[in-house]
Amino acid sequence: MTVGRLLSLKVSVFLSSVPVSVHKQTGRILHVRNGVLYCTMKSSQSQTATQEKQQPPKVKVPQHALKKTVDKITRDYEAIIGIETHVQLSTLTKAFCSCPYNYGSQPNTSICPICMGLPGALPVLNSKVIEFAVKLGLALNCKLSLNSKFDRKQYFYPDLPKGYQISQFDIPIATGGYVDLDLPLEFGGGHRKFGITRVHMEEDAGKLLHSGNGAQVDLNRAGVPLLEIVSEPDMRTGIEAAEYAAELQRVVRYLGISNGNMQEGSLRCDVNVSIRPIGQSEFGTKVEIKNLNSFSSINRAIDFEISRQALLLSEGQGDQIVQETRLWEEGAQKTITMRKKEGLSDYRYFPEPDLPEVILTQEYVDSILKSLPELPEMKRRRYENMGLSMQDVLFLANDMNVAEYFDETLSSGADLKLAANWIMGDIAAYMKNEKLSINEIKLTPKELAELIASIKGGTISGKIGKEILFELLAKGGTVKGLIEEKDLVQIVDPVEIGKIIDKVISENPKQLEQYRGGKTKLQGFFAGQVMKLSKGKANPGLLNKILLEKLNAKN
Amino acid sequence: MAMGSSRALLILSNFKFKTTASSSSSSKPFFPFKTNLGTRNFSTKIRSSLQPPDLPRLAETARISLAPNEVEEFAPKIRQVIDWFGQLQAVDLDNVEPALRADTEGDNLREDVPETFENTEALIASDTLWNLGEPSSNTGMEGSFLL
Repeated sequence: MTVGRLLSLKVSVFLSSVPVSVHKQTGRILHVRNGVLYCTMKSSQSQTATQEKQQPPKVKVPQHALKKTVDKITRDYEAIIGIETHVQLSTLTKAFCSCPYNYGSQPNTSICPICMGLPGALPVLNSKVIEFAVKLGLALNCKLSLNSKFDRKQYFYPDLPKGYQISQFDIPIATGGYVDLDLPLEFGGGHRKFGITRVHMEEDAGKLLHSGNGAQVDLNRAGVPLLEIVSEPDMRTGIEAAEYAAELQRVVRYLGISNGNMQEGSLRCDVNVSIRPIGQSEFGTKVEIKNLNSFSSINRAIDFEISRQALLLSEGQGDQIVQETRLWEEGAQKTITMRKKEGLSDYRYFPEPDLPEVILTQEYVDSILKSLPELPEMKRRRYENMGLSMQDVLFLANDMNVAEYFDETLSSGADLKLAANWIMGDIAAYMKNEKLSINEIKLTPKELAELIASIKGGTISGKIGKEILFELLAKGGTVKGLIEEKDLVQIVDPVEIGKIIDKVISENPKQLEQYRGGKTKLQGFFAGQVMKLSKGKANPGLLNKILLEKLNAKN
Repeated sequence: MAMGSSRALLILSNFKFKTTASSSSSSKPFFPFKTNLGTRNFSTKIRSSLQPPDLPRLAETARISLAPNEVEEFAPKIRQVIDWFGQLQAVDLDNVEPALRADTEGDNLREDVPETFENTEALIASDTLWNLGEPSSNTGMEGSFLL
């Protein structure tokens, strides 16, 4: 639908924070309220849709119909998306004092004069913070500033004890990097590279807890070290943004510098979205979105915001898009304005006089570079080169522990594809059911390799393999041990199989007659009986081959 | 208000006004930086003299209340302080590498070893700290607002 045609439909469209579009064929106005789509009809003619009681005729339009109309409008625009991410570091102590930090502690139990900003207290930098910052800078392919400094970012807020945040303003510790990632296959796949503008060190503020009679302050979190990562505005869709955030989570977990939990607040993302007509070089008005608590919220909030802005622009209401901060409402699935006017922030940055320069030597940086583990991107490329499918690659490289387990299984000699299948299939299902991580299952990579080899070599059948897998996962033990203990060795001797088949046939003359009379489906019955008699050990292939011969023989 | 203004006087007379271009506020709004990182904007030669701050705005950002007569009284004094720094602009810095900081000591780092501060009760006791006589203009709360 072109902009011109849309405007020519003389329909009064109400614009609030609700996306509205006009259905091409029927001229109906579609809007969203409380997450349900409604369609208001212009004409009073009855339609094929169901009517809601006595209310004005409203039709619940399926999500995809609205989406198609919105898609048509957004197709004319290009979205420019940037993300600011705060990563809470998993150091033992805070950034500038020796208070420990434990998520979920009783309020105000992990505080001292320094993190409370009491008069006379002075900050002392935690050496681990520099180490983690360098690790991350290197992992994100940044240029490290061998000399950087801290600055004071000054503003007043109840959760900011000193009245300023110690941060890095004009000389951050790392700049000019990028991340490589692969989009999941269910979203079309594809490789992406997104730029990283900068990474800098700073401290967290306390927490405000709102109760009946106002708000109270918990300073346990004040002073916890953060790394702020600012991306280049390279993302173009909600899914690209969500994957970028997911990759940052993967990287910080691989590096062991943070547990990267969005739900816990150790990974926080604020997103900036603007759109412009395709072909225009000027950027549109930038809107910031906060309160995103999961990767899927990032995805949905951005898609919503793009639609909201596109609809406004396409209806000539571009001036309604103002530079502001909006909150994502998970329940209503939409962004809303933050009521209070923030005013222009003048942080009056100046160099933190209580902290010396941060000086890195090239040797220090090199030693950290050497100590980096194999990062997600490198792992994905290595797995891809080994011949695994993209789907396998993305699964196995997602969690560092799973990848390690997989690598160990391979180094015990397992077949590549079979190892991948077992881990992604039965083992992953077991972990999900029992809510265990791969480090908690009792099956060792070595035994998994043994299991795979036993099946591949014909010692046990695939079916038996799956059965003992469960016991191995739950109780551990060795494959060889279990095979011996339960007498599971596959029967591959045709003579022996033949004997069992003969027995089954002789015990079931009626079925034999029926089979020979034309009910060939009974082969399955016989096969089942043979399996039962052999305690599942008969080789299925051989079984059926010999069975068929015997059943069809003119006796 | 008398107590407030005398405290303001005390602070202003001892006021070490650290100025870099990044903190010399004028009436124009200041946005978080977007410049390229190679240039440093406090050794600029573009401004031949430093602008004095918009005093009411400065007082507002520092949360110091000033009566109109106090604004009139302090404006020239602050202007004078800034002019002293303005004199430094006359120095030719073309052949000097910008320093990040003024100190010469190396880094002062601490190991990542936890130490619990005993006696946190004293820290959060309401009569220790928050009893400044007037509620914070920010929060409008009196007494302890630590959980």
